[in-house]
Amino acid sequence: MRLEDVWLRYGRRTPWVLRGVDVEISPGEVAVVLGRNGVGKSTLLQLAAGVLRPTRGRVRDRPRVVGWVPERFPADQPFTIRQYLTSMGRLRGLSAAASRDATGAWTERLGVVPYLDVRLPELSKGTAQKVGLAAALLRPPDLLVLDEPWEGLDAATREQVPLLIRQVRDGGGAVLVSDHRGETARLPGARQWSVADGTVSVTVPESEREGMAVVEVAVPATRAADTAAALRAAGHQVLRVRQADPSEIG
Amino acid sequence: MFALVRMRLTGFVRTGRALAPLIAGLVVLGVLYGGGQAQAGEAYGVSAAVLFPVLAWQAKLLLDAEPDVQRRLALVAVGSRYRELVAGLLAATLAALVTVVVALVLPWLVGGIRGPRSAGEAPLSEGITLGVWAHLLAVPAAVALGALASRAATRSTTYGIVVLVGGAVGAVVMGLKNSVAPWLAPPVMATARALSGGPDGVAVVTLTLQALLWSAAVLTGYAWLRRRW
Repeated sequence: MRLEDVWLRYGRRTPWVLRGVDVEISPGEVAVVLGRNGVGKSTLLQLAAGVLRPTRGRVRDRPRVVGWVPERFPADQPFTIRQYLTSMGRLRGLSAAASRDATGAWTERLGVVPYLDVRLPELSKGTAQKVGLAAALLRPPDLLVLDEPWEGLDAATREQVPLLIRQVRDGGGAVLVSDHRGETARLPGARQWSVADGTVSVTVPESEREGMAVVEVAVPATRAADTAAALRAAGHQVLRVRQADPSEIG
Repeated sequence: MFALVRMRLTGFVRTGRALAPLIAGLVVLGVLYGGGQAQAGEAYGVSAAVLFPVLAWQAKLLLDAEPDVQRRLALVAVGSRYRELVAGLLAATLAALVTVVVALVLPWLVGGIRGPRSAGEAPLSEGITLGVWAHLLAVPAAVALGALASRAATRSTTYGIVVLVGGAVGAVVMGLKNSVAPWLAPPVMATARALSGGPDGVAVVTLTLQALLWSAAVLTGYAWLRRRW
């Protein structure tokens, strides 16, 4: 999936939250979104998940099954955990039986079975967050978007989150996760997307940087964007596109 | 999509938000039929007109029952902006149809409708058919107005109320007999007038087209306001 020159603002008179963002994430890849509070991390994640549409630019090749865990689970709903999760399973296109099975499996794994018939508004913040996590995983996602997934979770479940991320990654899914607590130190090999001043810069993990070479290619300026896109599609990392100095082209 | 329709209807009923418009509808109809008996067409025409704001309010309440974040979760889960939007409108339409059934049955329980007294008056069956048509005509327009006034479209409680009240008042004012711009309003008032006199085929077709076009225009506005979130 690729965000191409994505700009976003919430209204005509409001400032741009994101300006010219150009990032991509491939299947089996994990990216951690870092940045100060209010810098646009959640906005970026919601763009990736398909909740928001860019004001300018576009999002290409978003996978079909997306799981999104918002920063705060909307617990003000008149359902029990069981009713909520089975309904969300049906929304995701699962049959009634498959939805019940998936609900059973995920609530078991996340330790919320004792609360299955408790109504959502009565849950603690951490348990509600687990329901949000389970809802995103009911159908194995091709893209999992987690907005501060560690918030409010108990120690045992915090340990589970990196395992869940790895499970999705190993199944060929991509994972985008925001974090301001430093919990993502437990995700070695993840790329880092740093959000600041409306732009996103990508840092490749050290393990991937070793043994890499840089190939400089000159193309007509009109074909620069297409070439960069083709190189990215072929799995290469495009470091930058710059104006060529006539003297360096032989 | 139907799973989302069911989930939204269930949420609407379980939160108790379904009660207020139903009670309001019963009060309005109680006042209407408390005054005595009328012919089916005439009574149902007025019933559809007075129910229009109630149905619009009901649609807004239904669409607003779900927290904003849950609406976004539903959108990600169904995987299509179009399906999420249509599921909301469908749920609101089904809720409106329940209210319409109550409105059609109620006058028979309280003796608010009488049959023809002379040979010149329209037969009862014609009055009932036209009454059903009048109510069905009010439904898409009311759902469209309620959707336009919903939080997802206006993103503000104040604007939502302004749109709902403005739309309901506009439907009456612009629908008056000598209105300068009757096409600006859904034809609920015009339908009530037509039913009191017994409409001809041309009037039925014209009013149906006006109601559908008005609803389509308002729903287009709703979809446009929701194009990015």
